[in-house]
Amino acid sequence: MMRFDDAAVRALARAEPGWFLDDRLAAFARFTALEWPDPSSEEWRYTDLKGFDLNNFAPPTEPLPLADNLDGVPEHVLAAMGDVWERDGLAIQIDGTVVHRRLADPLANKGVIFCDLATAAREHEDLLKDVIGTVGVPASEEKFATLASAFAAGGTFVYVPRGVDVTLPLHAFRWLETPGVLAAARTIIVAEESSSVTYIDHYASPDATTAISIGLVEIHARQAANISYLSVQDHGPDMYHFNIQRGEVRRDATLRSLAATLGGKVSRSVVESMLVEQGASAEMLGVYFADGDQHFDHRSLQEHSAPNTTSELLYKGALKGESRAVYSGLIHIAKDAQKADAVQTNRNLILSDHAKADSIPYLEIEANDVRCAHGASVGPVDDNQLFYLQSRGLDADEAEDLIVRGYFQEILDRVRVPEVRAALERAVEAELKA
Amino acid sequence: MAQTQTIEQKPEAKAGEELLRIEELHATVEGREILKGISLVIKRGETHAVMGPNGSGKSTLAYILTGRPGYEITKGRILYKGEDIAGTTPDARARSGMFLAFQYPQEIPGVSVVNFLRTARNAVSDTEMSALEFHRFLKQKMALLDMPEELVKRYVNAGFSGGEKKRNEILQMAVLEPDLAVLDETDSGLDIDALRAVAEGVKVVAAGNEVGVLLITHYQRILNYITPDVVHVLVNGKIVKSGGPELAAELEKTGYDAFREEAPAGDKGPLP
Ligand SMILES: Nc1ncnc2c1ncn2[C@@H]1O[C@H](COP(=O)(O)OP(=O)(O)O)[C@@H](O)[C@H]1O
Ligand SMILES: [Mg+2]
Repeated sequence: MMRFDDAAVRALARAEPGWFLDDRLAAFARFTALEWPDPSSEEWRYTDLKGFDLNNFAPPTEPLPLADNLDGVPEHVLAAMGDVWERDGLAIQIDGTVVHRRLADPLANKGVIFCDLATAAREHEDLLKDVIGTVGVPASEEKFATLASAFAAGGTFVYVPRGVDVTLPLHAFRWLETPGVLAAARTIIVAEESSSVTYIDHYASPDATTAISIGLVEIHARQAANISYLSVQDHGPDMYHFNIQRGEVRRDATLRSLAATLGGKVSRSVVESMLVEQGASAEMLGVYFADGDQHFDHRSLQEHSAPNTTSELLYKGALKGESRAVYSGLIHIAKDAQKADAVQTNRNLILSDHAKADSIPYLEIEANDVRCAHGASVGPVDDNQLFYLQSRGLDADEAEDLIVRGYFQEILDRVRVPEVRAALERAVEAELKA
Repeated sequence: MAQTQTIEQKPEAKAGEELLRIEELHATVEGREILKGISLVIKRGETHAVMGPNGSGKSTLAYILTGRPGYEITKGRILYKGEDIAGTTPDARARSGMFLAFQYPQEIPGVSVVNFLRTARNAVSDTEMSALEFHRFLKQKMALLDMPEELVKRYVNAGFSGGEKKRNEILQMAVLEPDLAVLDETDSGLDIDALRAVAEGVKVVAAGNEVGVLLITHYQRILNYITPDVVHVLVNGKIVKSGGPELAAELEKTGYDAFREEAPAGDKGPLP
């Protein structure tokens, strides 16, 4: 089995330019130097990785061949991907290698780029060099971010030139099937001035696979750009998933993000929106439904460093079985960020006696003329609502299910990509029946 | 207004047949005795008004009848269609034809009125309606109550005005076609137009199917639209007087204070 060492980094990077390899090796050196995440640190207080041994995993080795069309993609992978509606671009990756990629011709002709990182490093070197690592969670701070930087495989580079609207979503389906593999997808999205794009990262794996999936996502919304980034994590129940996402939002630009967490044994997601110029705004949605012994850890940052910036965060989850969820989020409003407007809401429905959720808001406000609101709740379905529905003939279980459906529908209404909304509605139904 | 369609006579529905019998009912809420000996009999097709001041136990009576958790019968009994209903669940009562129009209807965010109504209808009815059948059925009911189409697409009571909430309760009653309808202050907080609309709605829905109605109210004014067969005055957990419709008019003149005197000494009703 391939180990996590310099040789493995070199093997993975063999088709890439030297600077990219150097980046990886530097990241790996930092990874080696960093302590293993420890629950005594604030960041990992709620997720104990005791018992998790990286030596049980290995980076991917042989890249799979690229298929020109979907006929070349294994049928079980297409089945797992499900119905993909109209798309301006589709990329399918298996265990971190790209097996299929397509971008609508008119967009390619306008200069839109949608490819994996190795290809970007070869064919769009200057563009990539300009942005890579500049808004990412500094790899030196995060064990899994450094690991993902060193062993990034496949990944996605999206570039939308000034003024171009990508009307239909770009969709990356990331399938992991080899037990023990580590697939680190690094996603870099750049939307230039007044452009727009919707991008979906869809993660999935079979029920029996134990593997590590990492998403390292760097988003650049330039002036007046409009980006929607949707991450749907629908892994099998034995997976480890770590998502580290940071978006930089410039003047009058908007970044909408969705973190949907459904699968995995341990799933940790960090979503950070950096509102760095006047008029920048971010919408951050989170949806999760845990059962069994799943452990979900969601963290968020709403960083207001410029005046007149807006952020609205809403995370809603439900828990069954003996599952555990923790949400912790920070709103930071810097001294200069007058007239900032930040909202942070986290709601947790506890549907069993043994499930447990925590919600921990942090506020750090240095400016004096701001609007800032936060709300958190953890608890069972409301008794008054239950009685109301029971008085209409629904038994206790039907009543609870209907309330839970409605609870999620309220946030799913805000998901603007209809097929993602529909997929999440189906996921909620499946969880209710489980 | 369409009226021919809707309410088929259920085979067992016969006017004059006893529907509800409450005998010497005592009940507690969270350990505190609120109902202190209530007796009444409602026959099919009859409307009984229960009038009483705030805090007299009107809602408690409604909840005891419909089986709300936390509300307990400590003495006496309730026979519904001849059966003692003690210990049965709220949903079982609903499926056997009981309906409560809430004084404060709950909001159920994310669940549309139409979806809610269909789910509830299918829960209480023996025959499942397809989406299309239900759509037609609902349209008739809405026409009957003169309800705006737009209302059923919204989420249950979320952002509804007081009047819309009450009308939505009556729409539910129309869709569920109960045998016994308990209306808890359905008239409160309505302006005169909304009151008339709601009262007319109750009348058409109730008239079609020999529904027994327990009309709980604080004020006499809804009785201008719906003439009760019997009026009960509830003070401090007890029925202090029962009579015909003229009793409501008398109440209007004298107020509840006159009746409080008939209540046991030292009992001036609950604190505000
Ligand atoms: N959940 C409850 N817990 C404790 N006391 C209650 C509760 N609900 C009602 N009560 C009390 O019971 C009495 C009757 O209340 P209620 O039935 O609501 O009166 P009404 O509907 O006539 O205004 C009041 O004194 C009220 O404070
Ligand atoms: Mg009341």
